[in-house]
Amino acid sequence: MAVTERPSQLTEPSNPIVSRLRAVVLSKEGILFLIMIAAMFILSLLTDKFLTTNNLLNQLRLVTEIGLMALPMTFIIITGGIDLSVGSIFGLSAIVMGFLWQDSGWPLELAIIMCMVVGTMAGFMNGLFIVRVGVPPLIMTLATLALYRGMALGVSEARSARGFPDWFFDLGQRQFLGIPSQLWILLIAAIIAGIVLARTPFGRGIYAMGNNELGARFSGIPVRLYKLAIYTFSGFMAGLAGYIFTSRISTTRADMGTGLELDVIAAVVLGGTSINGGSGSIVGTMIGLVLIQLLKNGLLLGGVKGDATIVIIGAILILAILINNLVQRRAGGD
Amino acid sequence: MSKKVFAAVLMVALALSVAFVPAVAQDEVRWVGADDLPVSPLECPEGAPGAAMAEEPMEEPEVAALEYNGGQPVGAPDLAGQEIVLVDVPKLIGIGYFNATSLGMQQAAEELGNVKVTTDGPTQGDIVQQVAFIEQYITQGVNGILFAANDPVGISPVLRRALESGIHVVGYDANSEPDAREWFVNQAEFNGIAKAKIDSMVAEIGPEGSFAIVTSSFTAPNQSRWISEMWAYAQKCYPDLKWLETVESAEDQNLAFQQTQTLLNKYGPDMDGVFGMSSVAFPGAADAVAQAGLCSPDDAAADVAAPDEESAVAIVGLSTPNQMRPFVENGCVESVVLWNPVDLGYAAVYVMRAVVDGKLTPESTEVEAGRLGTLQVVNGSEILLGPPFVYTQDNIADFDF
Amino acid sequence: MTATTVSAARQSTPGWLKNLRMLVSGQEGALTLSLALLVIVVGTANPRFLAQQNISDILLNSSYIAVAAIGMSAVIISGNIDISVGAMIGVLATISGQLSIVPGMPVWISWLVPLIVGPMIGAVTGFLVAYLRIPAIVVSLGMMSILKGGLILATGGVWIYNMPPAYKLAQQSFLGLPVPVYFMLVLTILAALWMRYSPSGRAIYAVGGNKEAALLSGISPRVVLMRVFMFNGLMVGISSVLFATQFSSIQSTVPSGLELTIITSAVVGGVSILGGTGTVIGATLATILLRAIGNGMIFINVSAYWLQAVQGTLILVTVLIDLLRRRRQAAQIRG
Repeated sequence: MAVTERPSQLTEPSNPIVSRLRAVVLSKEGILFLIMIAAMFILSLLTDKFLTTNNLLNQLRLVTEIGLMALPMTFIIITGGIDLSVGSIFGLSAIVMGFLWQDSGWPLELAIIMCMVVGTMAGFMNGLFIVRVGVPPLIMTLATLALYRGMALGVSEARSARGFPDWFFDLGQRQFLGIPSQLWILLIAAIIAGIVLARTPFGRGIYAMGNNELGARFSGIPVRLYKLAIYTFSGFMAGLAGYIFTSRISTTRADMGTGLELDVIAAVVLGGTSINGGSGSIVGTMIGLVLIQLLKNGLLLGGVKGDATIVIIGAILILAILINNLVQRRAGGD
Repeated sequence: MSKKVFAAVLMVALALSVAFVPAVAQDEVRWVGADDLPVSPLECPEGAPGAAMAEEPMEEPEVAALEYNGGQPVGAPDLAGQEIVLVDVPKLIGIGYFNATSLGMQQAAEELGNVKVTTDGPTQGDIVQQVAFIEQYITQGVNGILFAANDPVGISPVLRRALESGIHVVGYDANSEPDAREWFVNQAEFNGIAKAKIDSMVAEIGPEGSFAIVTSSFTAPNQSRWISEMWAYAQKCYPDLKWLETVESAEDQNLAFQQTQTLLNKYGPDMDGVFGMSSVAFPGAADAVAQAGLCSPDDAAADVAAPDEESAVAIVGLSTPNQMRPFVENGCVESVVLWNPVDLGYAAVYVMRAVVDGKLTPESTEVEAGRLGTLQVVNGSEILLGPPFVYTQDNIADFDF
Repeated sequence: MTATTVSAARQSTPGWLKNLRMLVSGQEGALTLSLALLVIVVGTANPRFLAQQNISDILLNSSYIAVAAIGMSAVIISGNIDISVGAMIGVLATISGQLSIVPGMPVWISWLVPLIVGPMIGAVTGFLVAYLRIPAIVVSLGMMSILKGGLILATGGVWIYNMPPAYKLAQQSFLGLPVPVYFMLVLTILAALWMRYSPSGRAIYAVGGNKEAALLSGISPRVVLMRVFMFNGLMVGISSVLFATQFSSIQSTVPSGLELTIITSAVVGGVSILGGTGTVIGATLATILLRAIGNGMIFINVSAYWLQAVQGTLILVTVLIDLLRRRRQAAQIRG
């Protein structure tokens, strides 16, 4: 929006610092960050309730689950794949946790671990079919989207799991060192994922696979192993998110998290990760995630109702990518 | 080669797992969708087979004796008589039912003059989004929150947070845990609805008829509670009723239509009635029956009527007048049972006003609600709206929502 | 099933078997076989499944999805995806229904308008994808939000009723079959012919398969993409009319998860998500197969709680059968 003019003010790169700065600002993440700042500025004019530490932290609490799942999704989309089943894995692992504890009498601690084990296994299944049988990721995860959700319904016979002991809610509803507890997990996970993606051979392999899978294979990158790893990782994170979610909401049902995969994908693609693979970053994904939530929150606090908000967010999703495309094309000189 | 073997083994395993699942026969004896919550079937009507079997007069349920069990806001400002700002967060927006409750709220706000209420909520009946909405309105700082919960347990933490922030909380339509709100306006008890539905079905298909249920989803709390109460009531009063099967339709009118067609084809003349359990499933089911030409020939228009009474299929459900109007007018559906959602929203705002003004306290046994007169306190912290309303061919023209 | 076809492929075969093999070697063949298998298994377990009324209902209920899946197939073959189709059907059905209850409005106008508005929405999506180079998944995600929210803003989800009897196109029958079934059949055949034999249809495959090659051979990918999305809009428009005219009262709302059903149909139909291959006939067959699975599972008393899981498994099995088939073909070509 208003941000488009800003980059053009820095058009004369004379010394290395300016040109370095220019590169950062004009990067996809830089542009997106500027859009976010501009949006926050406009929203804070609408209402003084928006730009308060309490509100912002609370908003981040609400998107922790989506954020956790968006991390592996960034890896997956960079390789040119996709995982549509995360919402269903999320629902399945949460319900397995709830019922191991509620019906089968497992200790809750063990059930929580099983939650992540189930998620990991579900993700591993996806990965196994994708690398061993060669099912395209979209098709595989479209099928398991239905399958895992169906299993959650079958296991629970549509009942809810509830009545968890008080300590179970520490993670989802309380604070640790003044910040919502689950945000620490997201923060640490995002930093690790960011470093792995940007600074390790594994991360470079992910980009290489997205740009040219065959080439990556010939240059000695263990493509299959990497793919298996990221889909398994995706399942694990969905399981973890399922646990955090249950702790926040204090109950779970088989239909929890339906359609969540679209929110996850929206955060990733808004963050500048190309759906065709080969480019993207964790920083971008996190900005995309925060931008969407702050828009929802700020508009609502500013008196815009939910139905109008989703119209505006839809438009901004398209506009943000459009602006970025235009800037990148001009900066790239093509 | 190994790849092929691997794939083949996987496929065989998958196919086998499918082959075994059908062995898990449908077990309707234990309807579990309602979380095994206790059921309390009401008394049977005169002449029902179960009525004779019931021993001595049943003891009255001791609901009135319950202590107040709601929550209280912490440090709420005294706004008696002053302008208050309320937000109404229904299960979802953009459907006829909650448009009607919202309309009732506006009517009450207009009458009272010192209440401002806006309705806002998720576009899907999703507890996650609903919690986020309430969270935002706590931040925005309203004086009171009206809600209809997508999940009774899931909504409670955020409502408690609202109470802790000094915001008044009143529920309607779908409850939370009692201590997470001050009052709940109860449109009708689960067992009351169940009785009304089973009784209307029996009136059409007789006490030994057979029926199937088309619900929204097994995980929908209200629907599941209704079904489990219906089960208990039918067991008690009409033990010879045949309960064929319950299918889901995912809040999709077309899916409800398709599922009902499938049931009609599967059971043929062996099925006498269908329950449409949600405001979307009911018209979908009614359309399937009408288009199959299986409406009861007594009342129905010629183009939808069954050739004879034997093959007719009765449709019973809860719904709002507008969506069922075509079926009531052509006689395919005899009556639609529903409380008046406009009144429900209207009462919710009056209750909230009375709470803020200090007229409705934990000691109260009744509350004034404008044109609705005096409403009773039941179950500790619930306000009962009154008996359900029945829309028929004669009065449906008077309602538009 | 696979075991027999695989072993059949191994032996030196008589002529008729060769022909049979040719027939089942396509995705359409695999789907037809799966469908036949399902019909035999379920029909044996419960003969009522085979009743004419039930078969006709399965076809009727496949129709509106199949018509939308035709458009989706074209979009996917061109290397894109459209997540907004469910929301589009909701919006267009509402427009159609609302027009039909305007006094004095000829019925054909309420049928026609969705067929015009649909391609217009498709043109917007297509423009953003083709000319502004925004990925289709982003555009359609955004479009879905806009349409969904816009519909609630505009209507509040009111129920539309009192449509004139003449409006209810989908409730008419012709020669014993409901009218939507003819729409499904005719549109599938027309679209299949168009995409297979006409240059403008072939161009979709070229664009999806290899954009540079398409460019070199003189096809403008932008024009083709615009055309694909407008075609999709037209199909969705027709689908929404079939959807709206099925009922006596319709809610102006977006049916949740409909886009997923449509995409699943197209994908199970063998339309490769990477673009460039597949046929609309496969998509239509897949739609019918999926609907028959949903219907048949009720006939053989699959536990209602496990129904979704069984459906998911069957989708996976169908996909795997197709994958093995392709791999075998590839091996045959090599060796």
